[in-house]
Order: sequence, then C-alpha cells, then structure tokens
Amino acid sequence: MSIANTLVPARRDTRALLIKWIVGLLVPVAVFTFVWSGEAIINNALLSLLGTGNVALGISLVVQLAIFILIFYATVITLAGYLVAADSGQRGMIELWIDILVFVVVPLLLVISLGLIIGFALCAVVWPLYFLVRRRVRQALHYTPPPPLQNLRILDAEQRADLMSRAIMGGFWFSIALAVVWLIADLIFYVSGALPTILLISAVIRTLILPVAGYFLGRLAGVIALRRTIAQKNGGNGESDTDRAGRRISKRRQLEELSTTRKREEARDLVPNDLPLRSTGAQRFYLILIVAFVLFYPVIDPFLFGFGTDGRLAGYGDAGYYVILALGLNIVVGFAGLLDLGYVAFFAIGSYAWGIIGSTQLTNILSLPPINQHLLSGLFWPMIIGAALIAAFFGVLLGLPTLRLRGDYLAIVTLGFGEIVPIVFLELDKYTNGPNGIVGVYAPAFPGTNWLSATPYYYLILALIALTIFANIRLRDSRLGRAWIAIREDEIAAASSGINLRNTKLMAFGAGAFFSGFAGAYHAAKLGLVSPDNFSVGDSIIYLAMVVIGGIGSIPGVIVGALAVYSINQFLLAQLDSLAADPSNPLFAIHNAIAHVFPGFTFGNIRNLIFGVLLVVIMIFRPEGLIPSARRRRELHAGADEQAEVGALDVVPGAPGFESEVRI
Amino acid sequence: MTLFLQELVVGITTGAIYALIALGYTMVYGIIELINFAHGDIFMISTFVCITIFAAFGITSSSSAPTGLALVGVLLVTLLGTMLICAVLGVVIERVAYRPLRNAPRLAPLISAIGVSLILEDVGKLWKGINFVSFPQIFPEITYYIGPVYITSVNILVIVVALVLMVALQWLVTRTRTGRAMRAVAQDREAAALMGVNVNRIIAITFFIGAALAGAAGLIYGLQFGSTIFVLGFTLGLFAFTAAVLGGIGNLVGAMLGGVLIGVIEALASLIPDSVLPHGGAAWHEAVIFVVLILILVFRPSGLLGQRTPEKV
Amino acid sequence: MNVEQVSEHSGGPLLGLNKVSKHFGGLAAVQDVDLQVWPREIVSVIGPNGAGKTTVFNLITCLYRPTSGDILLEGRTLVGLSPDHVVRRGIARTFQNIRLFNNMTVLENVLVGQHTRLKANILGAFFRPPNVVHEEAEARKRAIELLGFFGSALVERQEEYVMNLSYADKRRVEVARALAANPRLLLLDEPTAGMNEAETLEAVKYVRRLRDELNLTILLIEHKLTVTMGISDRISVLDYGRKIAEGLPEEVRRNEKVIEAYLGKGTKAAEQESVE
Repeated sequence: MSIANTLVPARRDTRALLIKWIVGLLVPVAVFTFVWSGEAIINNALLSLLGTGNVALGISLVVQLAIFILIFYATVITLAGYLVAADSGQRGMIELWIDILVFVVVPLLLVISLGLIIGFALCAVVWPLYFLVRRRVRQALHYTPPPPLQNLRILDAEQRADLMSRAIMGGFWFSIALAVVWLIADLIFYVSGALPTILLISAVIRTLILPVAGYFLGRLAGVIALRRTIAQKNGGNGESDTDRAGRRISKRRQLEELSTTRKREEARDLVPNDLPLRSTGAQRFYLILIVAFVLFYPVIDPFLFGFGTDGRLAGYGDAGYYVILALGLNIVVGFAGLLDLGYVAFFAIGSYAWGIIGSTQLTNILSLPPINQHLLSGLFWPMIIGAALIAAFFGVLLGLPTLRLRGDYLAIVTLGFGEIVPIVFLELDKYTNGPNGIVGVYAPAFPGTNWLSATPYYYLILALIALTIFANIRLRDSRLGRAWIAIREDEIAAASSGINLRNTKLMAFGAGAFFSGFAGAYHAAKLGLVSPDNFSVGDSIIYLAMVVIGGIGSIPGVIVGALAVYSINQFLLAQLDSLAADPSNPLFAIHNAIAHVFPGFTFGNIRNLIFGVLLVVIMIFRPEGLIPSARRRRELHAGADEQAEVGALDVVPGAPGFESEVRI
Repeated sequence: MTLFLQELVVGITTGAIYALIALGYTMVYGIIELINFAHGDIFMISTFVCITIFAAFGITSSSSAPTGLALVGVLLVTLLGTMLICAVLGVVIERVAYRPLRNAPRLAPLISAIGVSLILEDVGKLWKGINFVSFPQIFPEITYYIGPVYITSVNILVIVVALVLMVALQWLVTRTRTGRAMRAVAQDREAAALMGVNVNRIIAITFFIGAALAGAAGLIYGLQFGSTIFVLGFTLGLFAFTAAVLGGIGNLVGAMLGGVLIGVIEALASLIPDSVLPHGGAAWHEAVIFVVLILILVFRPSGLLGQRTPEKV
Repeated sequence: MNVEQVSEHSGGPLLGLNKVSKHFGGLAAVQDVDLQVWPREIVSVIGPNGAGKTTVFNLITCLYRPTSGDILLEGRTLVGLSPDHVVRRGIARTFQNIRLFNNMTVLENVLVGQHTRLKANILGAFFRPPNVVHEEAEARKRAIELLGFFGSALVERQEEYVMNLSYADKRRVEVARALAANPRLLLLDEPTAGMNEAETLEAVKYVRRLRDELNLTILLIEHKLTVTMGISDRISVLDYGRKIAEGLPEEVRRNEKVIEAYLGKGTKAAEQESVE
C-alpha cells in the first residue's frame, strides 16, 4: 500500500470518525497549550536553552520540562490514534463533543481560573448537574443510547488491517491539525509581538516533526488497539485465557457465557467499542497522563499556577499522608470489613515513633549524651519501616480484644482506643513530653536535597503512596486478601472453609496499622513536631469518612475520597472563608445572613456538619461511594430478596440461643 | 474512708445521669440493634435547649433564679419542654437517617449514625460556640451532712428526677400495651409484625422515649455541673454506652444499674494516686472507663444482668 | 500440605460421636447421641424438623462445643478445636441455607476453599516470589478441575459472581468449595433442598461419584426419604435430639419409632404408602 493510501481516508465513515475525534481532542489540547501553559512551558524551556529569555532555568529543569512535554503530547497523539481505531462509530459526534466539553474542557477551565482544589470541587457540583440535565433531555427526546454489547464482533484480517490504518490516520491527521493550529497561533503571537523570532523557527520545525511523529505514534496506537480485539477462535492476538480446563477458549465464547453485567464491563475492555473514551484501553492513556502530571508537577507548577509553588506543594504533601491513611484504613474496613473508628491511634504511634527517635527526646529519656543530628536524620529511612512495624505491632495488640466482637461493638471499642491512645501520649509526659509535644523533630537526610523546601517531601510522599498502592493491590489479590473478603462476606462460612479468623483479622489490623506508620513518620518529620493536639478522635472519623465517601474497599475510590475530604478540610472551607471576607463577593452576603442567626458561623466551622451530611446522604443514596469497587456496587444494590443470612455474629454477644453459642 | 464515701455520693449522682442516657442506648439497641451514636449529642443539645428556655424566662445565671413555686414551675416547664424537643429530634433522626437503611448491611446505619453525630456537634458549635457555656444553676444548693460526708440538694434532685423517670419507664414497658409491643419488637421483629404490631411506629416511639430521657438528663446535668460544651455528648455518650453494656444491653434495669456503677467507678478512679498513674487517676478517668468496657466485652459480654452464657467445659 | 494427615487408622471408624450432648440453656438440642461413620460409607442422618441434625453437624465441625461427650476423627478428639483446625484435620461441609461468598466469583469461592492447602503468607502476598506465583497458578488449575467435576457448565462461568447463579449451581459451587479443602469426610447438609426431581436425581448421582471417584466418606442430612433410602449405606434417625434408630435403610424404614416420629402415633396402618 502506498503511503497515500494509508494516509488518506477513503471512506466517508472513516472521515467522519477522524473529524469527530480530531476536533474532540484538539479543543482540550489547545486549551492546555494556549490558554494554560503548554506553550509557555515549551517556549521558556527553549529560550533558556538558547540562553535568552527572562526566565533562566537550570539544565536539569529544562530536561524535566522537555520530558514532560514529550510524554504529554506523544500520549495525546497516540490516544487520538487509538480512539479513532477503537470507535465503532455508533455514537454521534455531537454527543461526544458535549461529553468532552463537560468532562475535560470545563474542569480544565475551572482549574485554570480557580486553582486545582476549588476547580475540582466545582466539578463535583457541575457533573451531577450535567447528568441530571442530560437524563431529562434524553427523556424528553425519547432517546436511549444503545447498549454497548451490540458491537462485539470477531475481526477478520481485513477488518484488523482497517483498524490499523484508522489508527495511523488518526495519529497522523491529529498531529497535522495540531501542527497547523499551533503554527497559526504562533504566527498570530509573532505578529502581535509576543513571540521572539527565534521561536518562530522552532515553530516551523515543530510543524514538520509533528506529522511524522503522528504517523509512527498512530502505528503504535494501532498495535495497542489490536491487542484488545476479539481474536479468531484459534490463535490470533486477542486476550486469550489459557487456564480454562487447559484449553484455549476464545474470548467471544467466554463472553457468551457471562452474565449481562459482566458482559457490559467486558465490552468496555474490547475494541471496537461504543464508548472508547471510557474504555479500559483509553484509561491506560489517562493513567500515563496523570502519572506524568503528578511526577513533574513541582517543575511545571510555576507555569500552571504562578507564584506560591512551595506552599502548594506543602499542602499536597499533607494531602498525601491522608491518602496513605485512607489506603491503610481501607485494608481494615474495606477488605476485611472490620469497622475501625480509632485509626488515629496508630497514626499517633507512628508519629511518636519517629518523634522520639529522630529528636533529642530519646537521649533525654535515657539520659544519654546528645547524638549527632545527622546520624539520627539518616535513621529516618529505616525508621519509616520501623515506625510502620511498631504501629503494626500495636495494631495487632489493640485488635486482640476485638476479635469476638461484631460490627457495632467493634466500632465502639476501636473508638475507645482512638480516644485512649492520645490520652496516654498526653499523660506519659516523662516519655512524650506531654502537652508540649516533641519539638525539633529532624527532617530526613538525603544527599543533595534541601529538606527545608517542600519539594523533597512531595516526592517522598509520592514514593510512599506508590508503595502503599502497590502493597494494597498485591494484598487484595492474594490468598490473604481472599481470606479477608471471605471474612467480610460471611465469617462462619469463612471459618468453615479453613480460615483462621483470629489470625486473619489480626493480620488485617496489623497491615492496616502498618501504613499509618508510614504516614506518622512522614508527618512528624515534615511538621517537625509531634504533639497530642494533632491527634483527636475526630480525626478517626475523618479517616473513615475518606474511605466511605470514596468507596469502601476500592483502591482508586479511597484515594479520591482522601483527596476530596482533605480539600474540604484544609482548602475549600478556608478558601470560602477568605472569599466571603471580600465584600464584593456574593459569599459575603450569604455569610452575613447566616451569621445573624448563628453568631459563631464561619465556613471553616461547619466542617463536621458538611461531613456529617455527606456521610448520611452517601449511605442512603450511594453507599458504595464515589468510585465503587466492582464488588461493592453489586453488594449494596442487590435486590431485597437477597436477604443476608443471619450469622452467629449478628446476634448480641451473650444473648441466649443457638447462634450465640458459635465459637469463632 | 471519708473520701471514699464522698466519692460514692458523687458517683451515684453522676451515675443517675449516665443511667438516663444509657436507657436510650439500650432501648434503641434492643429494638433495632444499632448503636445510636447521635444519642449522646441529643443529650448535649438538650443542655443548650435548657439554657435557651431559661433565657426565655429571663434567667441567665444563678442570681436571676426564681424561688419557691416559680422555681418549680420553671423547672417543670423546662423539663417537659426539653424532653419534648429532644424526643421530636430523636424521632426525626430515626426517620431521616436510620429508617431508609433498615435493610442495608450493618455498616450503613452505623456510619449514618456517625454522620448525624457530626451534624449535631456542629449545630451545637454554631449555636453556642466552641467554649464552655455556663448553665444557670438555679436550684438552691443546700448541703446536708451525714457524718463527715455531705450531699447537696442538687444531688438529691438529680437522683430523684432520674429515679422517677426510670420508674415511669419501667411501668410503661411492663404494664402498658405499648410497652409490651416494644418488648415484642425487640425480641422478634417479624413475629411482632405478624401479630399486628405497627413496627415502624413502635420504633419511632422507642426513639421518642429514649431521646426524651436524654433530654431530662440534660437538664439535671446542667443543674448539677453548671456548664456544658458542644463536645459533651461524645464523651458522656461513650460512658453511658459503657454503662448500658455493663448492665446488659437490651436490659432496662441493667442500664440503670450500669449507669450508677459507671458513675461510681469514675468517681472512685479519681482516688488513684499519682504513684500508680502519672497525674493521678482523675486525668485517666476516660481511659479507666474504657478499660472497663473492654473487660466486660471480653469476659462477660452479656453484661451483669444479661443471660449468662454456659460455662466452657 | 497443610491438611493434617493421620496415617490410615486401620479398622476403626473414621468419625465417632460418643454420647454427645449439647444443651442450650435449658434446652437439650442433642442428647446422648452415638454415631459412627466408617471410611467410604455414605451415612444419612434423618429426622423431623428440629431433631437436632444440623446441630450435630455444627458439633462435628466445632462451631459448637459439646456439653458432654466426645467427637473423634480417626481416633483423635476434635473437641476444643477451632473450626478452621477441623478443616485441616480433614472435614469439610456445606450448609443447609447455602453460605457462599456472594460477592466473589465462582472461582474465588473455590479458591477460598483451598485456603488450608496453600501456604502464602502476608510477605508472600507482597513480594510474590516464584513459589507463591506457582502456588497460585496451581490453585487456580485445581479449582477449575474441581468445578469440572460437575461438568463444563461451572467451568465456563468461573468468572461469574456467585450471586447471579441458579440455586442448583450455587449448591454445586458450595460442594466444590468444600472439596477444595481436600477432606476425608464431607458433611452435606440437605444437598437436595429446594431442588426439583431432575436436579435431585443429578445430585444423588454426584454424591455417589464423590464417594466412588474421590474416595470420600460422606455424612449427609437429608429430608427426602427417597433420596436417603436410595443412596445411604446406613441411616441414623434423630428425634428431639436423641437417636431413635439406626441401621440399613430397609430396617429403618420399617422401624416403628421412626414412623411415629415422622407421622405421629397410630399410623401403623398407613406406614407402607407414606414412607415410600
């Protein structure tokens, strides 16, 4: 096939697909490039490289920026190719464009104008509204979207070749479109004097490189898309399952056997597909973008949001340890189903662990001569694990009395522990310095990093979060994870299947507490002080709220939940308050009106009220949380006929009767 | 010894208050097997309500306290008023936050209850601020001496009010049709429904009564201790729940007994000297009570008056 | 292997209940029950509702502790063990009301059944060394084989969430989960409850195959007398917690006490038709 054949869309439907996706993707990319900072980043980097320009960036910064830009645009171009290939063409253009507008462009604009936190918070309001409106409109128009299943088909060789060519065309034409738009924009900037001449040259170079890159990236997209197709019955490169009774059974046959719900889920996995934007394949691209964004954030933040990078990074560092706490609690509450309301106890233990060792406190207690600060700082790294192990030990210890208790009682006892442990730290002031806390806790020591700025803490918490997520996934998909879920489902059946309830539950407590140790050590080092004031029972409730709101048992869910709760806690309300102080803002009037009735009112003050309402509302209307785990959604919306068997442990402990006799 | 007896008096007084609150916990748990986390906060709201009612009468401190018949009148009005308001609050909470979750898995109503507790606490914070609020102690304080030990008129008032209410409750539960229905629903909800009992109504009535008792507890607490704060409900709620468990959850007399016992234990804990616990037992009283809770749940989960579990051979 | 294998206990019964009693407060649910099950036997426990049959099962699997008496597996006592320990000793069971893990797939349910045979601990879960990876792969293979005992239907639905299965399929998965523990003794609590005739026949067939092909000893509670008569080597009859009869199916069928227990006094005349 000549190049021309490969690149020129012959059929009308292919052309339609191209227009659909190119326009659809071009808009957000253009917003990012021109309105936000893509352009700014590139231009500044280039100028620094060339030694001119007003912002002088070190070479390492330039390299990092370059990598980020490369990853970003390469991913987007490949995504364009993938989407063109993966789309079955069922859904219309306009529908897609509206979807992209609402779910990509609007958040982008909100974040640009209002900042990351408020921007996303507003999205949480805008999106449900959109869903509501969309549903009404659809009802009015008597429109029902076709079920995605219709399009699953086995592709023959010709169709597969067609897929590949669509991918190539998608990548190629998208990059051409991007190049052209960019060039025009740059010309406008140049003419209006905003662009130095030298960059015009780079613009031309870019215009030439992009289509070439687009061709090859389109190829790559085609390969990725093909991997997600249904293969012929024998051989082929569909996702085949090897261990079914030892034979290779085709994916299609597998699909025929599954229930409708699973079919729908699987359908999103395969290509071609009605909703490629939401498909699992596309999600991989989004993941790459998110990871790149997160990894390079400290470098691109000045371009994105201007001054104040350090402050923002410090805030994100704090948000980070909330994420770890949520993931840890998720093991106990989400996987094993043990309602722990005293999680703050382990966080406190982890904090004090580092606080005592990584400061002068240890030598004070033991009446030793002072130890070199550097030495102790270096101990931070083993102490992260150390604090985690200590916390895990106490997790097991505090879990012991709870082993025979059922849900409600378990909650109360753990709540009590959450109250007691801070009291212990407060009162044992010989060891913990009591109400004054331990000050001057050392930061970690790492060659070449200055721990006075927020950036190293940001990367540290990212590493810890990555480790925690990795551990959670591994645990969930293991023998132990299955045992936890079994216990959560039915303790009696679990015990009768050979699971030792005692040890498995203790493992859950220990594993959950382990991660709070990470968070504790980090928190102590970053804050530089550990005091009982930092740990209150109310915090445990906040951690629970993170898990519940995000989605019990769901790893991405609790991460989002943690970020959401943290933003409300630390940012949103404070922001609302500062906005309300400005008389020109409508919030000012609202604030005053409420303050008339409730003199103590500030937005910050009603934090618990908001959480309380959220908890109740979520429990009633969406108990599976924001991003549910697949299991949970099924569980909580199962019909009323699925009455759960009353197990022994649904009975009040000690009540007379058969069930209470069960000894597990 | 004197100290011991004195603490005993203190303990019984506080215990009476705990008993009233514990009754609410135990009744609700007995009937729908839910720990009503918000119950303690209803008690706290009650203290604020009383302060407001007093203010409506122009009473803002003990100096503006009425005397004689007027005092009795004010107290009665306040008592009934706060009991009614809290009772309504309790029913509303049940209807809004718990009833939709009656068939949901165990975790859901529990979390909902926590949510309600958070809401009430912030309402309290908005209403009266974050600091301690003074409660007009309008009941004249006369100290009576029995040997070296003294007991005040306020103590007596607290104990009397609590006793009267407890007796009334016991009468209600054992001698009236409604009470019988309550016991039936607590034992076997389905069977009671099959017998023609309106289960939803009975549950609402249970919440009504429980919250009303918490309301009464709020008034006598304020008269006794003279101050309140928006987080009061949390701690005291925990103590009262421990009392309910100690006495045997679901058992009314048990809750009353448990309340008094917890009050006494708390009071006696303050006698623990410095040498045993740093800063003396008083600083650790929360921990002490909590340890009691754990011990009960581990060794005798049925509580004092619950059915005994057969011995392990 | 984690299953505690005791060397073949020559001669004696596999399972023995000696004068086992269980009292709940004042109620005697089980009273002085003797029962013996020999290797490769299929023994049925029958009796009217409330006779204490499931309680006996719960006692054997140590969900309850007997008030008095002893329970021996291959001569070693089971009393005082925890339920998971009993599984390791080689006893597995199904439940009258089907207790599957609803929010796990068919395959996962059977994998949980293998819990005692797998060794991976928390470190293994995190690091996934080759032996753990291998163990998991083998476990999956074995789980599929076990599902295959019932034909290919369950194998093909292995990724299905158990709550979506039909009733008969759920029962089969529960049996597969029990088999996954590699037991010597299998306790089946009313395996044909709620099944129609065809399903019942099929169930009877697979119970026989469990004994014939897998060398299992089977103790089952069953209400359908046709099933019990057809399949059992021996039958024990309980009534009000006591054993009132025991023996070969024909003997039990004609036993007066048994007929009385089921049908009340004075129905001797109608016995032949009723019991058929």
